[in-house]
Amino acid sequence: MAESENTPGATGWNAMAIHPHDSVAVALRDIEGEARVRVGDAIQVVRLAAPIPMGHKLALSRHETGGDVRKYGQRIGVATAVIEPGHHVHVHNMASCRGRSGA
Amino acid sequence: MGGISPDKPSRQQLEFLGYLRPVGRAGVRNTLLVLGINGLITPTARRIAQALPGCKLAATPYGRGQLGPDKDMHFAQLVGLGSHPNSGATLIVGVDRPSADAVAEAIAARSGKAVAIATLDDVHEDALALTALAVRRGGELARLLSTQRRVPVPVAELFVGIECGHSDATSGLVSNPLAGALADRLVDCGGTAVIGETLEWLGAEHVLAERAIDGVVGAAIVEAVAKRERAVAALGVDLLYNNPGHENVRGGLSSIEEKSLGAIAKAGERPIRSVLAFAAPPPCTGLHVMDGPGFSPESLTGFAAAGAQIMLFTTGPGNSFCSHVAPTIKISGHPATTERLAAQIDFDASPLFLAQASLAAMADSLFDYLLDVAGGTATWGEIFDEGDECFARFGGSF
Repeated sequence: MAESENTPGATGWNAMAIHPHDSVAVALRDIEGEARVRVGDAIQVVRLAAPIPMGHKLALSRHETGGDVRKYGQRIGVATAVIEPGHHVHVHNMASCRGRSGA
Repeated sequence: MGGISPDKPSRQQLEFLGYLRPVGRAGVRNTLLVLGINGLITPTARRIAQALPGCKLAATPYGRGQLGPDKDMHFAQLVGLGSHPNSGATLIVGVDRPSADAVAEAIAARSGKAVAIATLDDVHEDALALTALAVRRGGELARLLSTQRRVPVPVAELFVGIECGHSDATSGLVSNPLAGALADRLVDCGGTAVIGETLEWLGAEHVLAERAIDGVVGAAIVEAVAKRERAVAALGVDLLYNNPGHENVRGGLSSIEEKSLGAIAKAGERPIRSVLAFAAPPPCTGLHVMDGPGFSPESLTGFAAAGAQIMLFTTGPGNSFCSHVAPTIKISGHPATTERLAAQIDFDASPLFLAQASLAAMADSLFDYLLDVAGGTATWGEIFDEGDECFARFGGSF
């Protein structure tokens, strides 16, 4: 991915929360070490437990098992394990609440 | 009219060069459609289409053993595609004469266009004789439509179907909001737009319902989703890896709710006027949603049968499939995709992802490109012939 003065990475953020009340942020590039997350007009720095691939989600706050995972200001599923800030949030630790016969 | 930027007050006066039709919207293309209306003669219809250079083939694999709503939905797709504004004339290839006549009469009533019929009934079940008869009749139609010329047409005549396929996180962040901003601009100009794939409203239906023009439409949105969710539950299966699919999960999408909330961004922000039945033409201009399957080839055929002349198709990692009758504009906001698939992605939305351009500026340039395509600029999918029509069955795909 080309970098320039105007890329989010170069200007200081490499992940973003789509809605200010989201519990997860989206990585705008492959990130390791720390995420600099744009939340509204502020930047929140989050230490990563493991690298986050571009497009994937990192937790901004602690999620208890069964707690809501929020993106777009809406619930996109629930945590199936405790998720600490900076951890990768994906199908291994969250699940849909909809369209599931076994739920 | 919040979607119109103050520096471009004249967008509503914009025109594109299109083909006037006897009834309904103008066409953005002027092709002969070869319409196979029964799976028994699909190979014959294919041979006929090969003998008529420049024509488009839409051939159903079905046509018998369908009853009630399944039969009605199949008929609606045949008539809708046969009436499509981008086809200057339609050649119906069928098996029995009564079915072909019924389709032809419905197409003529809806579109007023030239229709010819060739069936096995006319040639004593001889597929080779059917080929000769249909090629001759198709050739006459092709000659007739070659006399038509493009003329300026108001942008309000455009009806755009908005689809997403092979989505990733960039879809919900960038390309779907961009498609939505385009829909807003088109609706503000008096045009029409539709999104479909009911299952991809699941988890976001409350957001869509709030945008409905009234409570009846809002309740219809919620019920359309509930009906499909009940059907999934009745099968005793989980949606994960079906929807979202493997490529969605690879791209970072973890649940149908997450995918849906990103998907509905392509509907923009204008009020939703109606919930269309699959393949049904919209009753008025403005924004609509279509209750249909979540497989994009079927969804696009539903939009085409409803009369959409152009499709916008957003993707994350790429997706080559296009509507056959409607030019399909491929949009990706993923910088690696637009670089890798330079001969697939028609509109590069990655400057938006890279924060190098504003949504309003990108939507304005997409709008300009839409008018170019309407006026004849070829999409990659047209150049490489990546289009097809995929007939959907009632109660079929989710």
